[in-house]
Amino acid sequence: MIKNIVKRDGRVVLYDESKIQKAISKALAASGEGDDASAKQLADSVQAKLTAECGENPPKIEQIQDAVEQGLMRAGFDNAAKKYILYRANRTRIREANTSLMKSIDEITNVDARLSDMKRDNANIDGNTAMGSMLQIGCAGAKAYNAAYLLTPEQNKAYAEGDIHIHDFDFYALTTTCCQIDLLKLFKNGFSTGHGYLREPKSIASYAALGAIAIQSNQNDQHGGQGVPNFDYSMAEGVAKSFASIYARKLKEGLEDALESDDEKALATLAIEKASQATGNAPRLEIDADEFDAAVIRTIYEDGRMDNAHAAHLVQTVRKRATQQTDRETFQAMEGFVHNLNTMHSRAGAQTPFSSINYGTDTTPEGRMAIKNILLATDAGLGHGETAIFPIHIFKVKEGVNYNPGDPNYDLFELSCRVSAKRLFPNYVFLDSPFNLQYYKAGHPETEVATMGCRTRVMANTAYPDSEIAYGRGNLSFTSINLPRLAIEAKGDENLFYKKLDAMLELVARQLLDRFEIQATKHVYNYPFLMGQGVWIDSDNLGPNDELREVLKHGSLSIGFIGLAETLTALYGHHHGESEEMEQKGLEIVKHMRDFTDAESKRTGLNYGLLATPAEGLSGRFIRMDKKRYGEIAGVTDKDYYTNSFHIPVWYGISAYDKIHKEAPFHALTNAGHISYVELDGDTANNIEAFESVVRCMHDAGVGYGSINHPVDRDPVCGYVGVIGEVCPRCGRHEGEEIPFEKIEELRKLYPEMTSFCGCE
Amino acid sequence: MVMTSKEQKLGSGVGFERIRRITGYLVGTMDKWNDAKKSEEHDRVKHGLAK
Repeated sequence: MIKNIVKRDGRVVLYDESKIQKAISKALAASGEGDDASAKQLADSVQAKLTAECGENPPKIEQIQDAVEQGLMRAGFDNAAKKYILYRANRTRIREANTSLMKSIDEITNVDARLSDMKRDNANIDGNTAMGSMLQIGCAGAKAYNAAYLLTPEQNKAYAEGDIHIHDFDFYALTTTCCQIDLLKLFKNGFSTGHGYLREPKSIASYAALGAIAIQSNQNDQHGGQGVPNFDYSMAEGVAKSFASIYARKLKEGLEDALESDDEKALATLAIEKASQATGNAPRLEIDADEFDAAVIRTIYEDGRMDNAHAAHLVQTVRKRATQQTDRETFQAMEGFVHNLNTMHSRAGAQTPFSSINYGTDTTPEGRMAIKNILLATDAGLGHGETAIFPIHIFKVKEGVNYNPGDPNYDLFELSCRVSAKRLFPNYVFLDSPFNLQYYKAGHPETEVATMGCRTRVMANTAYPDSEIAYGRGNLSFTSINLPRLAIEAKGDENLFYKKLDAMLELVARQLLDRFEIQATKHVYNYPFLMGQGVWIDSDNLGPNDELREVLKHGSLSIGFIGLAETLTALYGHHHGESEEMEQKGLEIVKHMRDFTDAESKRTGLNYGLLATPAEGLSGRFIRMDKKRYGEIAGVTDKDYYTNSFHIPVWYGISAYDKIHKEAPFHALTNAGHISYVELDGDTANNIEAFESVVRCMHDAGVGYGSINHPVDRDPVCGYVGVIGEVCPRCGRHEGEEIPFEKIEELRKLYPEMTSFCGCE
Repeated sequence: MVMTSKEQKLGSGVGFERIRRITGYLVGTMDKWNDAKKSEEHDRVKHGLAK
């Protein structure tokens, strides 16, 4: 007779036969077999079996469950037995998830982020802070829940074992990745952040401030990076408003000075009103300047207190000073914007907003002033001259607009190269590459390809072919395939590799669709800013309780890949940097995946796309598992990371020209996002002509998105920014070494623009 | 902290900041990078401009 049983945690509790009977009843009911009587009978037989096996010793839970399983099968309830086994397996999965969850929380709570790789999965989150840790605990909990309840066993296995990586898995059931925010639309008539209502801005300073707030607010509704696709066009409106009001103020003050009068508001207002009627415009920088100013002069002359020559001189001065002041205010606004994005918090204070701004094609004087000043503010750096980490700047390169000498914004393209050579930003998006040019309509900036986050690009629109634009759209979710593993397992058999690849593509496409179903049933009220304020395209037509399914179809579902170089090496012995033949083999593989996503789009009416996966957390995850599974394979698993997407391996010696030409064809295939890097040494990067030649090479080769890496070091003690080897070229100290105070005094004289040295004064 | 004494020195224990691009975005100082990305950054070679 059994009196006690041993639970999993070792506790001994009283034996209760009714519990066994209940479990059996449930399994029978689930399969539609047997009845309560048979359940009672089976429970008795289980007890008899356990008594025979254990005698006086209390049986363990696992033993009891084994006995139930066998009992069901022996009695011929095969389907009930299956249900019971599945139930057991699922409980085990959840239990294991709970245990590993507690372990994760323990690590998050107690281990220094510098020692915990898990806590540095995303370099943009400080895992040592209270809010950062709380966020990571939440992430760990969400991941455990999602794996146990939301993935199919097949998907969970593929994810857990590293066949695939579901990015931002912690947010699986909660939100979408990213969005291109059209600031102009948002600002029109003002907006609410969810914590307060903001009126339509009236100056460049408030355009810039509200721009940062919009990015911050939207970041709290999504898990990826936020983009502004039309930064120049958006800020131009603020510049225009500032200029108009400064012009009016300067005119009033100028008249008061010249006429020795206390208040000339009435005359100034009248003059501007009449001039606005004549030109159809408020006072604008440059545009209609002569006609406008002539009308202002006429009104002043007609007032009868000033002759024409004086009036003309006065208005000329007004325009000159208003232009200068607008320029100054724009610089300050852009400086404030950059500072804000590097200091303001999002997500419970754990992160600065992950932000991208795209610009370069607005050729109006106001747009040009905004572009020039955002570049100059970036060039100037932060408070101690530090290089700003955010926003990511993307300069949109376009022939006829800014690419060639004589193009209206060519000077700004040149300036962008100078700034990027010092500060690593801007990156460059190339609108002339055929896969970008196909969407481009002059005069419609919404058709200009823009990027956000690490590289996300959204243009094609299978769901709504009339909306092939960047504004208000973004990625919904992305999952990456461990390509090298498929190659390793194929053991050189190309056909087998493609067979495995097809199976994996199917699995990921299904998983993305499953997640879409979760996302589609969310409501506007779940995303008070993104959807509630109409940031996401067409969401302005929805009410707070509406479901998001239809508007979310504007977003993209992306299948990513990592390690094309290692894949080729595993399959054929070398990678695409090494031979033209391998380049073709690589293109075949990537084209195969692109064909799959195109077919999937067509079949489902959703925007499936192929992504050249950015490999941050992922760069080490797959290869660690593969090294354990397959050991060290030369050129495949012998590093600590798999190569980023289709890149030529970072360690492989190749010229910039060859690298660009080898990678460019892959840009055409990866429609959900891509980026190519060239690494320059410090001296080359400082040579602006050389720097620009690399950008031009990318443009001419048909790269979609590219950037140039070069070392940017800074010595906080003397403020030097540039390449620092062993010794700082400015103050001559080694890392960690101290320098005498006299030396600081000397530096202070040499570099009066440095406000403080060492940040410790 | 105001340094007035001529004997005092500045910068003891202060390291150099090294900013690198991680994957499309920059990260201020590399101590927040994960191990694999640190290793990748370490292996990066420069690309020459000759064709």
